Amino acid sequence: MSTRPYTKIAGAVVLAGLVLLALLVWYGTRVPTSTLADEGSDTPDAALIQRGEYVARASDCVACHSLPDAAPFAGGLKMATPLGAIYATNITPDGATGIGGYSLADFDRAVRHGVAPEGRRLYPAMPYPSYSKLSDDDVRALYAFFMHGVSPVAQANKPSEIPWPLNMRWPIALWNQLFTEPGSFAERPGQNAQWNRGAYLVQGAGHCGSCHTPRGLAFNEKALSESGEQYLAGALLDGWYAPSLRNDPNTGLGRWSEADIAQFLKTGRNTHAVVFGSMTEAFNNSTQYLGDDDLAAIAHYLKSLPGDPQRDGPAWQYEVADASAFSGPGGHLYLTQCAACHGRDGKGQVPWIPPLAGATSALTTAPDSAINISLNGSLRVVSAGVPDAYRMPALRGQLSDQQIADVLSFVRTTWGNRGGKVDPQAVAKLRAHTDPASPTPIVLHMR
Amino acid sequence: MSARIDREASPLGEPINLSRRRFLLASGTVTGALVLGFALPSGSARMQAMAAESKAAGTQVGAFLEIRPDSTVRLLCPFIEGGQGTYTAMAQIVGEELDADPSTFLVESAPPGEAYVVMENGMRITGGSMSVRMSYPTMRRLGALARAMLLQAASARLNVPVAALTTEPGRVLHPVSGRSLTYGEMAADALDLPVPDVDSVTLRDPSQFRWIGKPVRRLDAYDKSTGKALYSIDMQVDGMLHAAVQHAPRLGMTVGELRNEAQVKAMEGVHSVHRLPGAVAVVAERWWHAKRAVEAIQVDWQEAAADATGRVMPADFSTVAYRERLANEPGPGREAEKEGDFAGTLAKATTRVEATYHNQYLNHAQLEPPSALARFNPDGTLDIWLPNQAQDMFLADIAKCAAIDPSRINLHSPLLGGFFGRHFLYETANPYPQAIELAKAVGRPIKLIWSREEEFLRDALRPMAVVKFRAALDDKGLPVALEAVSATEGPTESLAGKPGDQPDPTALEGLAGKSYAIPHRRIAQNYVKGPVVLGYWRSVGNSLNDFFYEAFLDELADKGGQDPFELRLHLLRDNPRLTHLLQSVVELSGGWKRGPFTAEDGSRRARGVAMASPFGTETAVVAEVSIENGQVKVHDIWQAIDPGSIVNPAIVEAQVNGAVSLGLSQALVEEAVYVDGKPRGRNFDLYPILPPARMARVHVKVIESGAKMGGIGEPPLPAVAPAVANAVARLTGQRIRSMPFSSYTFSQPA
Amino acid sequence: MELRINQKTYQVDAEADTPLLWVIRDDLGLTGTKYGCGLAQCGACSVLVDGNVVRSCVTPVAGVVGREVTTIEAIEADEVGKRVVAVWVEHQVAQCGYCQSGQVVAATALLKNNPKPDDGQIAAAMVNLCRCGTYNAIQAAVHDLAANLATPAAPAGGNA
Repeated sequence: MSTRPYTKIAGAVVLAGLVLLALLVWYGTRVPTSTLADEGSDTPDAALIQRGEYVARASDCVACHSLPDAAPFAGGLKMATPLGAIYATNITPDGATGIGGYSLADFDRAVRHGVAPEGRRLYPAMPYPSYSKLSDDDVRALYAFFMHGVSPVAQANKPSEIPWPLNMRWPIALWNQLFTEPGSFAERPGQNAQWNRGAYLVQGAGHCGSCHTPRGLAFNEKALSESGEQYLAGALLDGWYAPSLRNDPNTGLGRWSEADIAQFLKTGRNTHAVVFGSMTEAFNNSTQYLGDDDLAAIAHYLKSLPGDPQRDGPAWQYEVADASAFSGPGGHLYLTQCAACHGRDGKGQVPWIPPLAGATSALTTAPDSAINISLNGSLRVVSAGVPDAYRMPALRGQLSDQQIADVLSFVRTTWGNRGGKVDPQAVAKLRAHTDPASPTPIVLHMR
Repeated sequence: MSARIDREASPLGEPINLSRRRFLLASGTVTGALVLGFALPSGSARMQAMAAESKAAGTQVGAFLEIRPDSTVRLLCPFIEGGQGTYTAMAQIVGEELDADPSTFLVESAPPGEAYVVMENGMRITGGSMSVRMSYPTMRRLGALARAMLLQAASARLNVPVAALTTEPGRVLHPVSGRSLTYGEMAADALDLPVPDVDSVTLRDPSQFRWIGKPVRRLDAYDKSTGKALYSIDMQVDGMLHAAVQHAPRLGMTVGELRNEAQVKAMEGVHSVHRLPGAVAVVAERWWHAKRAVEAIQVDWQEAAADATGRVMPADFSTVAYRERLANEPGPGREAEKEGDFAGTLAKATTRVEATYHNQYLNHAQLEPPSALARFNPDGTLDIWLPNQAQDMFLADIAKCAAIDPSRINLHSPLLGGFFGRHFLYETANPYPQAIELAKAVGRPIKLIWSREEEFLRDALRPMAVVKFRAALDDKGLPVALEAVSATEGPTESLAGKPGDQPDPTALEGLAGKSYAIPHRRIAQNYVKGPVVLGYWRSVGNSLNDFFYEAFLDELADKGGQDPFELRLHLLRDNPRLTHLLQSVVELSGGWKRGPFTAEDGSRRARGVAMASPFGTETAVVAEVSIENGQVKVHDIWQAIDPGSIVNPAIVEAQVNGAVSLGLSQALVEEAVYVDGKPRGRNFDLYPILPPARMARVHVKVIESGAKMGGIGEPPLPAVAPAVANAVARLTGQRIRSMPFSSYTFSQPA
Repeated sequence: MELRINQKTYQVDAEADTPLLWVIRDDLGLTGTKYGCGLAQCGACSVLVDGNVVRSCVTPVAGVVGREVTTIEAIEADEVGKRVVAVWVEHQVAQCGYCQSGQVVAATALLKNNPKPDDGQIAAAMVNLCRCGTYNAIQAAVHDLAANLATPAAPAGGNA
């Protein structure tokens, strides 16, 4: 049997492959155009810098680009990915190691398109799929802040620990093609100004979907706006379950009023919940700095997202737990470990100590958040510069996997909660991969 | 008469320390009561004259005793009560010879002063389980001298010879006439009399004891059950402000910019914000306000200067890495004990056993967080209240801090809310220098409380050690040579900042000084200085070293095919006291039953045995364990303890319970972990201590062998962890070579 | 705000989230209730609110407005509390004593709500930490009370 035809075909395939590869590389490293490309770089006025600082707060840049006890925005935060660790970069205006050499267009391309000046694609750990919705004005302001409101720090970036060939960046361009939406936020006609402002903040700077929207196989957010019904429908990320921000009464914000939402984002707490897990960082560094109008707009927009009764089930209602409910090992542990703060009735001491009855962490199927905070406690909630009076202790040193599973199974099946039982294996897994929260307040500075 | 009457009479809001006013008068005359001056510098001519006159410690009767008109006896105790029962014991001892019922005593801590140096080793501290055993004859004599003075006074009053008088509790009797006088009626007369010659009094025959050796009830039981007992943290004075601090996250760092000082100053209730060495402080009208505000301060902490004096905690320090560091310390070490020819015996031996053990750092975790209340008075004197275990040492340091003469300082030492070695003079671990500085700065009295988080950041820790054992067995499987080389820094070395001429006994006790007849022995230390401030922790070196030694001894038994109980009996065959002790504990536990066996509840269990010889007392422990939810469950601890002789069996039993609890705590759950130079546990959540659910039943047998009196507070602790470890090893087949055992994974034994 | 503590009414000026503990200790000067951890871990700060035990270090003061707070200082005014104190003295429970206010309060709450608690109920209620290791004495005292609560109270007090 001759192999020639196959060789020919193979040759053609290889050739086609090479051409495609060349095209891909070109595509994957080309520098996209910026709508801000032609603008000059006069020294901006203080108001613009201040506005940029506000946008930076809303975008929570500091969360990733600053380390505690280190210079603001000098980078260095280690972020684990399945392929290896990557490190947040220095975004101070230092010429050599930071972004001091960036033109406005360079800056825009990085923030809204995920492309560094030389065409290198940023990892989408940088939430440019959301930041792409930022308005030109906000990007200008942000640029002004970073160039003139932030002190330059000479600190070289740490190389990523992703090995070759997985560390090639150009395939990200394809990912971008598939999973990002071009253009900044466009106001939706038929919705009022408050709704549009809220949508803009939630989808853009706020990048709420980074945690709260479920992701697809390529780690892409399944929706980037309310046009997808999976948008902000709740997702598991980094050992926390970020609950639905839609109108789901159990696993979302269905039982919250707009005022509840705004209060939560402003003070870190309301009668339903207190921020915990990753949300504590988002609150400490970002949401509390937003103006009341913006918080009201966010709340208004979120309340417009319909829930999914099929997914969420019938609305939670409080059920009294009588003495017999506490007779098992979980109930016993609840009385000894939890009841002092959260109450025998599970109602907490609102708004200081959250209720567990009706808590989303006790109603979502995923037990991760409940396990994580039980093992590791909560970061300090620092509201208006003052650390919280009450914090969740870390129980990993006191309770075994089985005991945490027992007590959480109790919490998640009592008072009408129906998140379900917790498997000790799930506790063991999270125990191995998480660390206790710092008991001392962590405040990240922007200046 | 209750110990609480006068406290109730004290109005709330006044510092409740009845002795203060009297102490202020102490160098002059006194009123009515039997009180003598004492607040004199030890070198003064008058003190020397008095010492020459009295010739003996603890003879200045008036400095210790006040007998009130109602015959209540106030005793100023040289030692401080922190739960160990010393106030009750001292009332028993003095009362026995004074002939006054201990229940009529009101006991308080004596101030600093030479007069109260009553320990036979010339010291005066509350520690080392020394209070009773080191002062027992002296304090008895004190009671006898006071009784003699009362008899003398009664003799004059009744105009009869002393020989015609006798006493019964609280009164002098003249049997012939049937007349009697209460002690209270004669106290004023007795005051004017000279203290009799010490040889003139005869002590009571022990067979006649009414209170010594009896389970006399604690004097403080009621006050402590009703919230009336007052600790340093409870002290209040007029015009007082409260203070809280935030310490540098790592020792040695200094205060840089306070980023939000203006905001913090504007917070509710804040009086002022202060920069202190290695800390910032907030003074406020309420402690809660001070605490919240000081936590809110965003301090730009600066790394310690390269030439900084004192200890500096490096940013990369971790307990895991430090343990490796200790494990890799080379060298034979400095010898603390050497018998026979260890090296030669080992070289010739056919069976050798080697093992490396380690332990963990521990916090004291006494439940009362440290505090200090400092008040500068208009006359330039300083009143200061604080928890301490060594008044004279603290006074000297307070004088340095406050830059005033010790004679102008009134140091008050209230009840201790637990101590366990916490309240010694550890550099950087005491709040009073800060309280003094703040009181000076604001011109008002300051009560400073360290929050639990600040306490766990600055506590002096129980040392960590890595011990390498080598041993040789003879052809019968019996140990003939044993070497232990410990890489560690002892607490005494830590206090000194450098090693002494000899290895630190507090680093090696429990490895050195064992009584087993192993002919060839070598115990040595490799001194490794670390950045952690170390302290004495209940039973000190014994707390770790007896765990190492006694667990390794079980390894030797197993290797040599010996039963560990039988092996110990064999090694103690020429020591009747310890043989009896060991047999007693096994008898107490219903006979030696090593297991594994199935208990009535169906669980698989085993028992282990261990011994220790701490602080002049001998102890033996049997522990019974099972595995429950992957954790060690200790069901029973049987402990036989031979302190020679005792004063109060009820308190001894309570102390054994307490020491067992702490012994179990270190064995099962406790560990001070450092990561990035910082303690991970800043409260009881990440630094768990033994909860009630994990306490064992405790069975105690006290043996009074008549040997020299030993300690009680600490001795029952060290043998607990190894007894449990040996039981667990037997049950699971897994060697336990480190504490806490929570770092091991145990499966359910078949 | 107006607080009811030990049958007395107090006007207290404190922020809503101030822990009840510090109002009791610093505003009212009642120091029998102890600070140990501030994190609901040790129980030294236990008080009664409407007859139930709470840890005052994690009880925002606003939450007890309109409710009856009982601290250790008034525990003997309660019939059950008086019995508990008497048994605590009888069993010589206290060592350093720092945790015992909270232990007595916890035992009082347990027995007020359940005069005959079983072992599991005792274990669930008596969870306060004690560094001196008085756990066995506490167990014995509470079991004694559970067995004998029906009999009349003996006079408590002092060292009598």
